[in-house]
Amino acid sequence: MASSLFLDPLQLWREAVNKLENDVNALATGSMKSQEVARSLQQFSTVSLGMQQVLEKAIEAYLRRANLPSRKELEAVAETLQRIEHKIDQLLPAEAVPVPRPARTRRPQGAAPAAAAAPAPAPAPRPARTRGRSTTRRAGKP
Amino acid sequence: MATNVKERDADPALAERLRLEVERAFQRSLKGFELLGAPPPTVGRTPKTVLHRRGTLELVHYHAVADEVYRIPLLIVMAPTNKGYILDLAPGQSLIEFLLQRGYDVYMIDWHAPAPHERDLKIDNYVLDFIPDCIRRVQQDSGEEDINLIGYCAGGMLSVIYQSLHADGPVRNLACFTTPIDFSKMELFRSMAGEKAFDVDAFVEKNGIVPADVVASGFEALRPASRIASQIKLWDNLWNDQFVKGFRMMERWGNETLPLPGGYFRQTTRELLRGNALYEGTLRIGGRPVDLGNITVPLLHVVAQYDHIVPPACAAPLVQRVGSADKEEVVLPGGHVSIAAGPNAVKRMWPKLDAWLEERSV
Repeated sequence: MASSLFLDPLQLWREAVNKLENDVNALATGSMKSQEVARSLQQFSTVSLGMQQVLEKAIEAYLRRANLPSRKELEAVAETLQRIEHKIDQLLPAEAVPVPRPARTRRPQGAAPAAAAAPAPAPAPRPARTRGRSTTRRAGKP
Repeated sequence: MATNVKERDADPALAERLRLEVERAFQRSLKGFELLGAPPPTVGRTPKTVLHRRGTLELVHYHAVADEVYRIPLLIVMAPTNKGYILDLAPGQSLIEFLLQRGYDVYMIDWHAPAPHERDLKIDNYVLDFIPDCIRRVQQDSGEEDINLIGYCAGGMLSVIYQSLHADGPVRNLACFTTPIDFSKMELFRSMAGEKAFDVDAFVEKNGIVPADVVASGFEALRPASRIASQIKLWDNLWNDQFVKGFRMMERWGNETLPLPGGYFRQTTRELLRGNALYEGTLRIGGRPVDLGNITVPLLHVVAQYDHIVPPACAAPLVQRVGSADKEEVVLPGGHVSIAAGPNAVKRMWPKLDAWLEERSV
């Protein structure tokens, strides 16, 4: 697009928003380094959290009296259901969800031709579930 | 009026700009209404299998897409404060998808909100139980003894602590993104967590699990104007579907910040933020000192130049302190999140990570 003879007010406004954001952030960052400001913020945060907890407890008490579940309880039930579903999925035959298992023979694309021409190592066998927990380094490795 | 018409004729760029702005204003109104009723954006769509789930811990295996994969599997350790789908936002914006397409076998340790009985979990549990357990499971699932470990932010810190305590273990290569080491350089967090400002013991005793709101507001306090500014920018860009999609995914991720176990929070506040124990070498995990010099595997550390959470000075000592002969720190333009997810990450970090990993994954 050809450049305009007129200033773009929206562009100026966007630049102003960016500058204001940076300036306010810088100011706040500077203020936060003061222990007094940090302490005040923490006190505010603690009071706010305390009030929130009091409110939550009051709502929970009301819901209990009304024989209704709270959001937290519903979320806990949903979480439990998800775990049960996951365990059921795990019990299903493996064929139900085929997971691709390609050979572990890939070489970097920029690898030297000699290395590329070398016979690729055989794909690692799938270990039995009773495999040991050895974590010994491979010989010759740095 | 005649003069205006003349000016516009003489300045086609102005006429074009006016037409564009009217069109965008119209689109903003339409899409603003659409946005009000829109469901949350879908994220983390790369096919995967959950290999293990235990409380806050989840180990997933992403399904390979390449015909052949590199021998050594990758295990990504996510930060306990955030969901791992930041690395798998959407097709084309997913580090996971990129790694799969480049031929890696990818696993991830992702975290869920800790249950009430997990309130006392400490860093010790993460590095002496969760990570070793997941490594064993990756070994079993892949059939490979060797593992390449990748950690993001606090996930990087946990990976580094794990590796310093298991120097002769199965990890062959270690890659970290924006990993904090020198906590004295996290001035704002230190100020907020100072002994005079904050009674961490009373807080943890009272809450048990640190609520997600508290964790999120801690991050937001570092840039208090950014939330409002981002809403203004959203309105300005409502006409742009790509911008709105990206914004909503990031917003969802921010809103799903995870609560933290009180024990982990207390240890981080006391020993790392106040005592700077990881940097000073006084951190003890499971009764053993954590010495970064014990790390001898090849190390890549990707640091974000404009990171406001883990500033480069906070991350820099990792490469300086480890005992590895093969080690590299890369400082890339970007912020704490955009270094790993977003257009800049696609152009810069992902290719760098791939180039570093490919020759070390055979």
